[in-house]
Amino acid sequence: MKKSIIFLSFISLSLFYVSCTKDDAQEPDPTAGLTKLTEGYAVGAATKVEIYLENATLTSGYNKFYLALYDSVSGKRIDQSNISLTPMMDMGTMKHSAPYENPASRNSVGHLYPCSVVFIMSSMGGNWTVKFKIDNLENNKIGDLTIPVTVTEPTLSRMKSFTGLHDGNKYFVALIEPSSPKIGINTMEMAIYKRATMMSFPADSSLSITLTPEMPTMGHGSPNNINPTHTRLGHYSGKVNFTMTGFWRLNLDYKSGAAIADSTQYFDIEF
Amino acid sequence: MGSFIAHAQMAGNKLNADSSRFIELREVKIDAKQKSIHQSLQSFFKANNASTLEEIMNRLPEISFVRRGPYGMDPTIRSLNGGQINTLVDGMRIYGACTDKMDPATIYIEPMNLENIQVQTGNSGFLSGSSIGGTINLKVAEPDYRQAKQISGSLSSGYQSAANGWFKSLLLNYASGKWAFRASGTYRRNDDYRIGGGEHINFSQFEKVNYSFSAKYRYNQYTFLKADFLGDDGWNIGYPALPMDVGYAAARIGSISIESENRNKTLYKWSAKLYANRIKHFMDDTHRPDVPVHMDMPGISKTIGAYADGEWKLNHNQSLLLRADLASTYLKATMTMYQPGQLPMYMLTWPDHRKYQSGVSASWVNNFDSLWRLQLNGRMDIINYRLISADAKEEISILGYPDASRNDLLKNFSAQISRKLNETLKASFSIGYAERVPTGSELYGFYLFNSQDNFDYIGNPQLLNETSFQAEGSLVFHKAANRFQLTAYYKNIQNYITGLFDPSLTSMTIGAEGVKSYINIPGAILKGVELSAVVNQVKYWQLVSTLRYTYGRSNENVPLPLIPPLKNVSSVRFQPGRFSAQMEYEAASSQYRINTDAGEDVTEGYFLLHARLGYVMDIFKCTTSIQFGMENIFDKLYHEHQDWGNIPRPGRNIYVQLKISF
Repeated sequence: MKKSIIFLSFISLSLFYVSCTKDDAQEPDPTAGLTKLTEGYAVGAATKVEIYLENATLTSGYNKFYLALYDSVSGKRIDQSNISLTPMMDMGTMKHSAPYENPASRNSVGHLYPCSVVFIMSSMGGNWTVKFKIDNLENNKIGDLTIPVTVTEPTLSRMKSFTGLHDGNKYFVALIEPSSPKIGINTMEMAIYKRATMMSFPADSSLSITLTPEMPTMGHGSPNNINPTHTRLGHYSGKVNFTMTGFWRLNLDYKSGAAIADSTQYFDIEF
Repeated sequence: MGSFIAHAQMAGNKLNADSSRFIELREVKIDAKQKSIHQSLQSFFKANNASTLEEIMNRLPEISFVRRGPYGMDPTIRSLNGGQINTLVDGMRIYGACTDKMDPATIYIEPMNLENIQVQTGNSGFLSGSSIGGTINLKVAEPDYRQAKQISGSLSSGYQSAANGWFKSLLLNYASGKWAFRASGTYRRNDDYRIGGGEHINFSQFEKVNYSFSAKYRYNQYTFLKADFLGDDGWNIGYPALPMDVGYAAARIGSISIESENRNKTLYKWSAKLYANRIKHFMDDTHRPDVPVHMDMPGISKTIGAYADGEWKLNHNQSLLLRADLASTYLKATMTMYQPGQLPMYMLTWPDHRKYQSGVSASWVNNFDSLWRLQLNGRMDIINYRLISADAKEEISILGYPDASRNDLLKNFSAQISRKLNETLKASFSIGYAERVPTGSELYGFYLFNSQDNFDYIGNPQLLNETSFQAEGSLVFHKAANRFQLTAYYKNIQNYITGLFDPSLTSMTIGAEGVKSYINIPGAILKGVELSAVVNQVKYWQLVSTLRYTYGRSNENVPLPLIPPLKNVSSVRFQPGRFSAQMEYEAASSQYRINTDAGEDVTEGYFLLHARLGYVMDIFKCTTSIQFGMENIFDKLYHEHQDWGNIPRPGRNIYVQLKISF
């Protein structure tokens, strides 16, 4: 008898525990860890747009955005829509755009639409805006939202450009990884865009890259680095090895076939 | 320097072969069972109170030192060193915390605290740890029950001119009933020393204090319990052959043990010990001029371990020794460099790792008859190395080793046969096979600078174990108090570990020529002879002489590095009573067999002459001894072949010491 009481109480306790955990289980906040930049309404699409950033601020270079869309009336999440971006720099006398990556799919990823803009300069030279055109597939309405943004220049630049010696075109190179460098093997990721017109910066996949890290003040490099190679959409991926903390220079030589495109560029990293 | 060279086998109760030597340094306690051997040696082994342990050991024919400074010399057995030999303190494993080998375990033992040095070469040298080179075990002095007085001790002080160096030491012993306690302390301080000709060597100073406490409890007639603690703190220790010095080094070594000995039992002797030690080491370059970049290089070593051993008398002829031991060692060393206006540059020079070692060994002796004796030895070790932090793994993965841990099973065995040829002559011959694992530096070292060849070294977790087929023969003549011994040995080492220049890597140390990776080369040959003599033929006169020669080459016929040349040390002492006088010479030939890849050049031979005087008197019932001497009388400018950077050794040195025993 005693045993069965214990057994029963054990069963009921575990049931209670299970039900409790079930009640407590909530969907995790999809924007946890992100910084909210602003929000606004895409007029015409009846959509409220919340804009989040991976980093705390926007800096010249590759910036990841996450958009959360809501029906402006019901407040319901919108998980079906086509979104396209138009970054624009207004320098007073002239305007130009910048490379960008629209969300890859009409379906949200965890209720968010990841996209990115490569700001090729800071707001020092003029005013940046980004236009988000929303094609809401849940109510079949189209509208857009334009926001002004402030782009600062980081202490160590993550955005470089060069004029290709082989074709005279202007190339823009944005360093994506390592974003939090460590001693050991680090993923090296960069994105390269060619300036076709002032309004068009298509991704480039034509270059081959030689990576040579060094500590300029120590005069040494690191072993077993892997040159970045093109993966997709202008992204090049490789490995950079840091043997110690401190100030590192990632020397980059670009070639197109056998022709040298540029051999003067580098990124500096300090950690 | 030491005036006490000697070798002898322990009396029959020890299972030591002729490849074991003991050097007895203290006034010997005479036990009935040890009488014969110790009495004959006693007169010669009175220590020079100011000598360091290195100076004493250097008189043994098997031992020489790799010297990077006057302090912390790295012992070698027949030129094998580092991970090729075991350096134990009372059977305990102690690993240096310095990536540049500045702190071998020998620095923690003051001669005052030393009972004896046991050197086991090749074929029995692996019994307390897999090793191709052998074992140096420093047996530490114990509290003494046999003193007539409850409290006894001694007070010593000395001065030596070459380094303007002082030492002071105090020893106290208290014995009462079942308890005995011992405490000792030594303080040493040397300035930059003077070399032959009068110059001084910059960055050769040191200062240290060493202290020990032990307590012993007599459980019964045969069994004792013991607790020991040893501390050693050094400051501002110069290493003239290295680009850095030591700011501070601290060792804490503790153990508890039980030991029992009863001749009437089959298991006539057994002991067990539990121990732990921690070494902290901070390299420092703030006193050096023209340092391109200032850096800190701290290191830490922590070991815990235990062992148990027993000796059985199986029957009238046969005895057996069994030993089991295990230890776990943690090593970590880092480097942080500072350049103005930049973030500090930090890296792991020893990525933190742990070495787990457990092993069992056995030694069986059969005295077939009064002439023939056979000894079989064997040992197995299981050794695991693990990188223990994510940072360590990340860093080693740069070198292309995503998984750098390893497990090794090591096997060692040997057989020795001896025969008495006649009443005075005995011959022994042994063959054996031994293995050793690579060291933490050889596996995981990360751009460790070697100032001898001016290369950075990186480890290789995939190194094979070094193995050795070895043979040793000896002839011992023993008549009355005279003794001669001739030993010849041969080692055929496979997978010899050395550094190979890798042109694809860039050096990290500013000014280094490049980077070498540790690799195995197919083999190396090491052979040599040792001759020693103790002569007590004329009343009041004693002569002790040792001679050694070592030859080493790789499988490609390149001379091995750090091979000492032919060397002879001889002492003659006249001691008619309270007064003693001793003349001593050291002679070494030039070494032309050099390894230029290892940064070696030809070393000139030398001849040194030392003179020592001593007088013992009784003042107020205290035995007072005064020692006075002059070393390197000719003020010869010289260095030994194994001295890094060709830094000269001290020139003429006058010392005076006073010891009051109460």
